[in-house]
Amino acid sequence: MSHLSSVLTIAVWELKKSMTSMGRNVLPLAVGLLILLVLVTGFAAEQGIHLQDGMYRLGVDDPDVARIVAGDDRFTVFQDSAPGLWQNRYAYDVIVIGGEVYAADDGKGRSALKALERDYSGYVSWVATGQPDLFAAYPLWINMEYVQSELDFAATESGRQVGAPPRSASPPVPEGPVAAMTPPSSAVAFSPDDLRRHLATDTADTPFTRYTDILTADTGMETFKTPSQLSPPLPFDSIILIFVFIFPLYFTAQFFMMSIMNERLGRVGEALLSTPVRPGAILLGKSLPYLAIMLLIAAVITLMNGASLLILLPLFPVILFFMASALIIGMAARSFKELSFLSIFFSTLVTSYLFFPTVFANVHIVSIISPLTLVVLQLQGDGFTAAEYLYSTSLFFATSLVLFYAGVTNFTEERLFSQERLLPRLMEFVASGISASRPLLSLGLLAAFSVPFVFMVQMMCLVLFFNMPMPLSLILLIGASAFIEEFAKSIGLYALVRSRPGFLTVKNLVAGALLIALGFLVGEKVLLLATLSQITESVFGEILFLSLQVLWMPLLLHFAGVLIVALYLKIGGSRFWGVGLLTATMVHAAYNLYFMGGLL
Amino acid sequence: MNGRNIGIIARKEFSGLYAEKTILFAVLLQLFIAMFSSFLLVGLASMYDPETMAGYSTVEYAVGYAGEDSPLVAEFAKRDDLRLYRVDLAEGVAALKERKLAAVVYAPDTPPDAAEPVKLTLYLLQNDLQSSLINVKMKDVLLGYEAELREVRSDRLESFPVRLNFPEGIGGTDFFEFVYGLLIPLLVFMPAIISAALIIDLITEEYQRQTLETLLSTPVTFLEMIWGKILVCEVLIPLQAGIWLVLLAANGIAIDHAPEILLHVAAGGLGLILLGTLVALHYRERTSAQFVFSTALVVVVLFAMAVPYNPLNLIVRLSVDTAGAAHWVMLGIVLLATGLLAWATTAYARRVADLQQTGG
Repeated sequence: MSHLSSVLTIAVWELKKSMTSMGRNVLPLAVGLLILLVLVTGFAAEQGIHLQDGMYRLGVDDPDVARIVAGDDRFTVFQDSAPGLWQNRYAYDVIVIGGEVYAADDGKGRSALKALERDYSGYVSWVATGQPDLFAAYPLWINMEYVQSELDFAATESGRQVGAPPRSASPPVPEGPVAAMTPPSSAVAFSPDDLRRHLATDTADTPFTRYTDILTADTGMETFKTPSQLSPPLPFDSIILIFVFIFPLYFTAQFFMMSIMNERLGRVGEALLSTPVRPGAILLGKSLPYLAIMLLIAAVITLMNGASLLILLPLFPVILFFMASALIIGMAARSFKELSFLSIFFSTLVTSYLFFPTVFANVHIVSIISPLTLVVLQLQGDGFTAAEYLYSTSLFFATSLVLFYAGVTNFTEERLFSQERLLPRLMEFVASGISASRPLLSLGLLAAFSVPFVFMVQMMCLVLFFNMPMPLSLILLIGASAFIEEFAKSIGLYALVRSRPGFLTVKNLVAGALLIALGFLVGEKVLLLATLSQITESVFGEILFLSLQVLWMPLLLHFAGVLIVALYLKIGGSRFWGVGLLTATMVHAAYNLYFMGGLL
Repeated sequence: MNGRNIGIIARKEFSGLYAEKTILFAVLLQLFIAMFSSFLLVGLASMYDPETMAGYSTVEYAVGYAGEDSPLVAEFAKRDDLRLYRVDLAEGVAALKERKLAAVVYAPDTPPDAAEPVKLTLYLLQNDLQSSLINVKMKDVLLGYEAELREVRSDRLESFPVRLNFPEGIGGTDFFEFVYGLLIPLLVFMPAIISAALIIDLITEEYQRQTLETLLSTPVTFLEMIWGKILVCEVLIPLQAGIWLVLLAANGIAIDHAPEILLHVAAGGLGLILLGTLVALHYRERTSAQFVFSTALVVVVLFAMAVPYNPLNLIVRLSVDTAGAAHWVMLGIVLLATGLLAWATTAYARRVADLQQTGG
């Protein structure tokens, strides 16, 4: 009871403090800026975004052709006689003479040609829309029906190919029950005038509106299209959700981060630490107001979009995670600039982690790693099951708890007011997170909890190497993913060796390596990454998740990797960490390369 | 103001930045954003492009066909990456749900020359990467069918568009437009935004850590201190932007008029830094200052983008050599505005310094 009351006291105190310091000075200006923002947004919507204006030079001999690109600011149009155009053809990216299009033979010329082709097809559609007999101009309409794939967890886990291409001559036969269907009627449900209007707005479509569309109501016409309107449904739509839901949360987390940092300025927090209140209670009290505000903001946004409040369920662990990492960053940064960069860097990482899997939404297993996918599902009206919720959010709950725990154990005078450099500080944080009585178990758990982070970084590597030429990208990816895994596995050992140099006895070394390997493997297995290789349809997936096929081999590999690093640490102390890592990486990469042999 | 004192402050801040390796974080962050956006636009977009995708995917997709016979079947036969199976509609959709088919088409019995349109129904998996691929492949097939139907109904059309003949076989990608129209302005301007956020940290830190008095007890005046900090932030902008340009050039992305681009960035960036300085001097507290500044930044950038010939657009034009002499005019305008801001900053900093002396 006394704990609870001290938590509440601190919460109220924190709320008062931040309200008085922020409110009086910032509010008037913030309101003013908000009004300005609305005005400027209106202005920008009216004027359009002028970023790519005048990129291409287009030469035409006919003013009618110039009219085709009239609405496209990317083109600067020059009109000249046909011989004049031909004479100066190197001054243009594209020229049109007598209806024939010529493009400069370089990247820019080809790009301009593509832009012109797109404008032209828009223009052709515009002419067709004006025809009195709409169905002569648009004789073919496609009604898109989207069905839910009913692939369950077990099916993907057992390694069944997603959408396997059959080579047989006879059509595939469904295994499950076949629901009776009435064939769709051939009648068109919309009047020609409605369709005409829809076509007209569609040609004026900007990339921006398609993002705002997903939050507005469905009119039913979005799924009724002509063939030229069949643009691939970009799976990036969920990025708008990041802006709508995640950014406000990220901003609020900043305030919490700053509040933690403020305790460390001029040793203000010393007074707080000298009270009989436990660090855990202090941190809980300090974080409560921000947690409440973030939940409130998320609820308001949800209601404003007319969505179900169930969205808050998957958002809650994300909020927790933001808070936990804000705590660590606030405790670790030495100066404001470090705080700024750490927080921006971190939030970019988290944003991509949240966003990335949603690209694969509905290819369940992988996409559900991100709680944001559950938000997408809920918005689609599909909802999510308790099992999916657990699967998607447990990582966030777990990592937040780990981070909070690290924060609480490190919330001491010694750590808060030390001016160590960033990396040694973070190592101290890790070291005090390892239990003194059961260090081996802690190491195993640490390895298991590092898996989601490892997965995220590996995804980023895939992104980085994607555009490189083939053999190089493969080798880089193999090396990088091996290094990341070895790094994650050995970080606990390294921190431990630094803080407790006598720890590495031979017995501890072997047992520690085994537990780490085991913890890491369990973590990997839980994530079920193997499914990803089937989705990406490329060899990339195979490299990242190669080690998941047979169980004992990867265990041995992980064990060997940790053992190598541990031996180096034992022989040379913490200075040998880098060399050990490098050796382990090479062994790991060699193993992967060997198994990739068939693919190369 | 004494130039030497400004230099001393600038050096002090620079070595602070160097010691903390924050600048490394900044560069890493930018690299990350660059590769992330390039993956989004080029990487995933190329996956939708069947020709680019061909290198990675040799998969033949199975498509179910239900309903009446139509010329569409012949269109499908032209493709070697789509295999058509005649199915019963209900069975086909069930197979689609089990991912044994990639798509199902249902064709009605509408004759080609009917008054009403032919309405196909296309069944796809919802929100699925594979559906997007199928979509692109199907689009080609359906466009062929549409052209055929249009031919049949052509006597009912009244006006015809201007004809343009495009050269065959020149397939452009979105890469050029992405790199020059988005990535370069983004990369080149990011250092300016980072520097503006940095100046707020540098100034508010002196207040909140109470190091200001110590600093002012040296011969350095308040104004010199502020300008020293501004100087170090400003120098970082063309430095970082220049590195980006060199890196891009090393990757085979040639950029025209690099010196002019750096000039524009340095001028625009100085404006942002001065804005940050004003906000920081007003609040003298990081949370409020960063909050107000980031909101103001969105307003300023959004406004600038809506104006033709804005500095970001000029960077694009310069990099592809279509700017002409107009950009010098804009540079003049930006410099004029920056000069005004510099004057305001100096005046405000003086007032703050006077208040501190009389107040404390």
